[in-house]
Amino acid sequence: MLELFIYLLCGSILVSGILAIRLDSTLAAAVSGGLASLFAAVCYVLLGAPDVAMTEASIGSGLSVLIFLYAIRRTTEQAP
Amino acid sequence: MAEQILMAAAILIFLGVSFSVLRLILGRTVIDRVVAVDTLTVVSISLIALYAHVAGRSIYLDVALVYGVLSFLAVLAIARYLEQGL
Repeated sequence: MLELFIYLLCGSILVSGILAIRLDSTLAAAVSGGLASLFAAVCYVLLGAPDVAMTEASIGSGLSVLIFLYAIRRTTEQAP
Repeated sequence: MAEQILMAAAILIFLGVSFSVLRLILGRTVIDRVVAVDTLTVVSISLIALYAHVAGRSIYLDVALVYGVLSFLAVLAIARYLEQGL
């Protein structure tokens, strides 16, 4: 049962990474990149590392998406 | 009885992750993908809580708590971005 969930999460990390590369919209690509980090955090919990998962959830999934969106907004204002 | 309830919860979480990732792949607009990501954070929190009960370690519930607060923050930032506010 646990192996099945780990396989599902690893496949979801792959799908999110491929979508982050292939998507046309910049916002959707940033969201997909954050989602890959979210799945990685859940995978860390299932593999027995809750402190690493907490850091990954706060930095990778929360803060990096916010900084990406701020950067996208600031750069598309200058050169539309 | 408790074993069947845990198995039903695991199956529901499995289906939730599968269908949300399917919506993320097929999503026509950006809004569909953002809602899929929000659903996936909620399903992930429930998966962590279920695993904390199955493994018998209450330290994993702290991860779920931090996760809930910060996923809310990320979705709020995306909403502010879509409303030209960020």
